[in-house]
Amino acid sequence: MTAGWADGRTGGWWLLAIASLIGACRHGDRIVVGSKNFTESDLLGEIVAQQIERRTGLPVERRFHLGGTFVCHQAITSGQIGMYVEYTGTAYTAVLKHAPVQDPDSVYRSVAAEYATRFGLTWGKPFGFNNTFAIAVRRPDAARYGLHTISDLARAAPRWHAGFGYEFLERSDGFAGLTRTYGLRFAAPPTAMDLGLTYRALADGKVDVIAGNSTDGQIAALGLVALEDDRHYFPPYQAAVVSRAQLLGRYPAVANALAQLEGKISDQEMRRLNALADVAHKDIATIARDWLRTNLP
Amino acid sequence: MDLVRFYARNSQEVLGLLGQHASLVAISTVVAMLVGVPLGVVLTRRPAWRAPVLGLANVFQTIPSLALFGFLIPLPFIGGIGATTAIVALVVYALLPIVRNTYTGIAGVDPAVREAGRGMGMTDWQLLTQVELPLGLGVILAGVRVATVVSVGTTTIAAAIGAGGLGVYIFRGVAVVDDTLILAGALPAALMALAADALFGLAERRFAWRGK
Repeated sequence: MTAGWADGRTGGWWLLAIASLIGACRHGDRIVVGSKNFTESDLLGEIVAQQIERRTGLPVERRFHLGGTFVCHQAITSGQIGMYVEYTGTAYTAVLKHAPVQDPDSVYRSVAAEYATRFGLTWGKPFGFNNTFAIAVRRPDAARYGLHTISDLARAAPRWHAGFGYEFLERSDGFAGLTRTYGLRFAAPPTAMDLGLTYRALADGKVDVIAGNSTDGQIAALGLVALEDDRHYFPPYQAAVVSRAQLLGRYPAVANALAQLEGKISDQEMRRLNALADVAHKDIATIARDWLRTNLP
Repeated sequence: MDLVRFYARNSQEVLGLLGQHASLVAISTVVAMLVGVPLGVVLTRRPAWRAPVLGLANVFQTIPSLALFGFLIPLPFIGGIGATTAIVALVVYALLPIVRNTYTGIAGVDPAVREAGRGMGMTDWQLLTQVELPLGLGVILAGVRVATVVSVGTTTIAAAIGAGGLGVYIFRGVAVVDDTLILAGALPAALMALAADALFGLAERRFAWRGK
């Protein structure tokens, strides 16, 4: 399951408290790598961490599974983590608050430029895959109602129930814009729940539509279908390492190690790696080590 | 200041979530009492069951809530998404203090008093309802008090499974790092916990007095 220990009982305060504690006792030549609270982010974080360890020999501290985009952003701008993997479309819409744009190159260029001037953060070149939101339904439903695109879904939606994570419901490139673009109308307001639990809820028939991630291994494993975004509502979400410019300036070896990862992971490869973690339940550190050994010997 | 403005703008929603929160706490605590008090009584009659039952209740407390929800979603009747699943989880978390305090409260009754009751020819049922429960009530109530106060905080996780409550603000706030939103959920939850504690404090004093 992609959901973690950071549940509502402990709340955001603990995350912030822990993060500041870590910031306070951070010392010496230590590279702190963060990640967001889902499998792919943890996996890429681990690949980045191991790559730095084996290429530079510097000690790496892992601060994984932080509570989402905004927590990571606050952590990196305040210097509590040195780098994490972010997605261009997420940075463009959720952090920089721009309206979604379609062209991947222009999104990347403006995100990289604005991050450098506004936050002193450097975007590496993308890993190569695009992890867009996947509006997913069960395969039998898709077959029965002939659903291939999100536009098709608009016909069936009035009888259906949706379940979405809190971040998707709040983001500007999330639920509100999606319903506006496609004229979607569900039987009831969507159920707000933990992102990791939405897959389970869909597979067990408790909801009929969810918003997952297109590179998630669970989509194929649970017999789900991702509908095509035929009106191109979602912006491109290319993953890349975002680092503090200061850190890269101090450790050029780290920048070189990260550069070797650029363009190395396709959509299909990312899906395979996620499935190894979420479906085959292999250890993330092992997956990362095997991948690095095969692709960057 | 932001918080005041937030409440003013969303008063309808806040009251709705507050009501949801309170009813989740109330229902789950009542169910936990209906299960926990008889279970505690049974343990005083079957001492051999004590260690395994309390051990199990202990283990229940350590299951992470999201993992528990994951297990519950596919189950019929007690699972799915929404209030039922949340209540099942909350009951599981509330059981331990209630069972343990019921056991302790009854086991702590002076043996001489119990003997006197038996000497008067009381049946086991009479002994329980007329001697042991009234005398142990203070301790039992203390267990329910702990369960309720903890439950007010724990109920924020109901938002992870679509059951609403004040956790909705906390989850939304954490997702977008909005301190006002987090506080909008956390502050009334804290006040509710204090209120519940004070209410039980009053009840305990009243019943302890009547028991004398």
